[in-house]
Amino acid sequence: MFYLTRMLGKPVVDAAGETIGRISDVAVATGEVFPRVTALAFLGPGKTPFMLSWRKYVESIDDDKVVLNATKDALRFSYLQPDEILLARDLLNKQIVDTQGMKVVRVNDLKLSESRNQLRLLGAEVGIRGILRGLHPALETAAERIAKLFGKELPENIIAWNYMDLLERDLSQVKLSVTHKRLHELHPADIADVLEQLTPAQRAKVFEHLDNSQAAETISELEDAFQAEVIGDLGAQRASDILEIMDPDDAADIIGDLPYDKAEALLRLMGVNEARAIRSLLGYREKTAGGIMTPEVTRVTEDMTVSEVIEHIRKESSENESLYYIYVVDADGRLEGVVSLRDLVLSDPGTKIADIVSRDVITAHVDDDQEDVAETMSKYDLLALPVVDETGKLLGVVTVDDALEVLEEESAEDLELATGASRERGPLATAWWLIVRRNAWVALWALALLAAASLNRNAQACSKLPAACDLVLAAAILSPIILRAADEVSSRTITELIDATPGGEHPSFARRLLRESGIGSAVAVAAAAVAFLWVEVAGTAEAGTAALFALVTAAAVLVTVFVGSALGEAALKASDAGKTPPSSLLTLAAMVVGSAAYLGLAYALGAWIELG
Amino acid sequence: MKKRTSLLAVLGVIGPGIIAASAGNDSGGISTYSVAGARYGYTMLWMMLAMTPSFAIVQEMAGRMGAVTGKGFAALIRERFGLRPTFLAMLLLLTSNAATTVAEFAGIAAAMELFGVSRLISVPIAALAVWMLVTRGSYRNVEKVLLALSSVFVSYVLAAFLARPDWGEVARSFVTPRIVPTQAFIALAIGLTGTTIAPWMQFLVQSNIVDKGTTIKEWALARWDVIVGALSANLVACFIIITTGTVLHPAGITIQDAGEAARALAPLAGPYAELLFSVGLLSASVLSAAVLPLTASYAICEAFGWEAGLDHTWNEAPAFNGLYTFVIFAAAAVILVPRLDLIAIMLLSQVVNGVMLPFLLIFMMVIINDQRVMGRHVNSRLNNVLGWTTIVVVIALTVALLAMTALGIG
Repeated sequence: MFYLTRMLGKPVVDAAGETIGRISDVAVATGEVFPRVTALAFLGPGKTPFMLSWRKYVESIDDDKVVLNATKDALRFSYLQPDEILLARDLLNKQIVDTQGMKVVRVNDLKLSESRNQLRLLGAEVGIRGILRGLHPALETAAERIAKLFGKELPENIIAWNYMDLLERDLSQVKLSVTHKRLHELHPADIADVLEQLTPAQRAKVFEHLDNSQAAETISELEDAFQAEVIGDLGAQRASDILEIMDPDDAADIIGDLPYDKAEALLRLMGVNEARAIRSLLGYREKTAGGIMTPEVTRVTEDMTVSEVIEHIRKESSENESLYYIYVVDADGRLEGVVSLRDLVLSDPGTKIADIVSRDVITAHVDDDQEDVAETMSKYDLLALPVVDETGKLLGVVTVDDALEVLEEESAEDLELATGASRERGPLATAWWLIVRRNAWVALWALALLAAASLNRNAQACSKLPAACDLVLAAAILSPIILRAADEVSSRTITELIDATPGGEHPSFARRLLRESGIGSAVAVAAAAVAFLWVEVAGTAEAGTAALFALVTAAAVLVTVFVGSALGEAALKASDAGKTPPSSLLTLAAMVVGSAAYLGLAYALGAWIELG
Repeated sequence: MKKRTSLLAVLGVIGPGIIAASAGNDSGGISTYSVAGARYGYTMLWMMLAMTPSFAIVQEMAGRMGAVTGKGFAALIRERFGLRPTFLAMLLLLTSNAATTVAEFAGIAAAMELFGVSRLISVPIAALAVWMLVTRGSYRNVEKVLLALSSVFVSYVLAAFLARPDWGEVARSFVTPRIVPTQAFIALAIGLTGTTIAPWMQFLVQSNIVDKGTTIKEWALARWDVIVGALSANLVACFIIITTGTVLHPAGITIQDAGEAARALAPLAGPYAELLFSVGLLSASVLSAAVLPLTASYAICEAFGWEAGLDHTWNEAPAFNGLYTFVIFAAAAVILVPRLDLIAIMLLSQVVNGVMLPFLLIFMMVIINDQRVMGRHVNSRLNNVLGWTTIVVVIALTVALLAMTALGIG
């Protein structure tokens, strides 16, 4: 086993035993799964670079040196062939694409092995072992021992030649074996995964090698955030060509995210029909049926025969995203019925469409919420759902892939709402938010106590109004009741937020308030009892004051419930407008307002008693 | 179609150069400049003038490397010099960034203490806030907001005018090189260099250019953004020195950091000076406390080929997430150690930056003169002369400091 980093710099010795230079690189022929080393590059005296044929001149290689079979004078130097690559120059320390793991990695070392007097490249080492070995071999050994102590192996992370693609060097001129998997041969979804790990310059390079239809599919698979960026970085002509190939709904999404000028420029470069389709889609609101539908639909009329329809599909609809259903429309384009591809194929060619059409069509209105659309499709197991306007005119279809995306998006949003975390934060961050939310009341309680304590330490204020100071302290000690009530109110609102669809129905403010006040009153009565007992037992005040304090406590609970409901209402309104506020904020706001009200009321009561 | 007219979008046209350079006027920077002015009056102004071309040219080189290669500085170091030098460079970068992050939290603590908030409260909250800022992925937006906030840097200019300096004297100081042969002066000079041409800023400006996808064709315009950013950042720095040099130096008030400077300004230049000074300090510190750990994580992951990016989870990018989380919380924890000499830490971080600078600049000079990497966009002779001069001067200063420390001079 040989490692390139260990080979570099080792002496090259000729047949006479004279050291004629030091290894600077080795070349491999690229056509095989385990490429053969074909040439040796070394630096002679004065750092002059030389290259020799490995097959002709190398007698043997070991850990310390390369021995040649000829003397210095008998050597004939050679040049790098077009199908050869240099390991140190082209691979070592460079970024490559691991086309099996769909990752972009950096090469730390290259592993070679000798078999039957031939040195072959086994693969590129991209793991931590290569880094340690490169720093110092002793580090690798040490790490291995430590890992063994814990009963683990230090894994070697090797990527074989046939699973790597170079980002720097263009391999398109190089003959590669049939098993070699290059980036642009991957599934567009996998290409998209890799692209998201690259810098804009590298992405641009990869796109140079993709043909337009590959590029279109790849861009469709990219995360939304990258789509507009990638299209924006391509030349205008190519960008518009690619958008033209894409499904119009996907293209419209991307164009909608571009700055106005750029979007207009691209639309103008497109064919008239494609541009019109995209423009019409841009008019629909986001997150509605109109926003996710494609206008490419197969429309037929009742008087056609099955064979005519099939002929029509062959001619007109070969580019359509969805072919599972054929829609029957009248002269004005109004949707009359649907024929499934299955019915069509199984029917006699001469049959009239009118005889096999199913008139009971499930449709979506163009302004329907996308979540409802997706749920309808899942309920009726549909592969496509026609979208119509008020007059029943067929505008387009929502296909199953878009519906799946919607469901994924919405469930992520709901999760976000429920945990108070946003998707980007990762698992730990979510846990953090949970901790923050679950424990916010402790912090607020501490704050209330701090506030009360600092008031009590202010001798001047307390000598004037001792009762106020005492009651504020009591209120601070009891404030968890309020915090708890606030938490209750807002978690009910959060549940509603999750269930609610934007623009959908939810209980009116008055109803919610009524419900919350009902629950709130029960809590208020209990809280009042606790407050009365506390003040009595602690001996803070006499019975009359304690009763008033109990009233104040009940009032504070009701204020909290009211504020919580009002905030919840505002949140629902905001959510209707498409801006869902973080639920933790809701809870926190209700808690802060509630406890501030409690402390304030307690203080006011104390001051009133004191000043008469 | 969305028309982008929001405030954030307008701020978005502020280029990477201005962002990187403004982020450089961080807590450590403001402190160093304040101390320089208070302790030596206008004496060090000529150094700022001398440093400005170096700073602009170093930033320009970093930006140009990004535009030509489309790669970050760390990646270029790795590909040109191999594993060992890269490891050394990344170790240095991590050390200096961690030390500077500590200084940022010290700045936050100092600024909040001016508002009467104990560091025991402000620092943990700030650490958590910064960390969430970063992990929420919206830090780029927040960065712009903070930058807008730190445009109260203008207040330093105003403060300088309010202080009524003798402008003739100021002008003369810019062109009169003076050196006080003491350890403290040399250390401050290295600190001044280290904070003005901070190593991490080269990483930051280059990766900003790369992320923006600026190509060499657009470079003609983008380079002005970088140069103007460098000039304006240094101008602000000069005004900080002028302010403390006018107000505090003649009164014989010695200060240790920006917080003290702000406090000392209040009786002499009015309460608003203190307020503006502290707000500027706070926003600059928060901004840099978010940017510094990220810069280090990005650079290190790029150098070793690990997955990096704010949209990656812990499982996908453990090294990246682990690094910045560690730097943020370790730095905040250091500040909470009781009776810790924050000033020493702040100065130390500046000196670490100053000592590290020549190494990185040498890497940069070699890469940017390599035709295989830069094609025909290699350095001009002027760039090379200025670059090497900077390296020689910084090395000379460092050697002088070490020698003086060893011999016990000054």
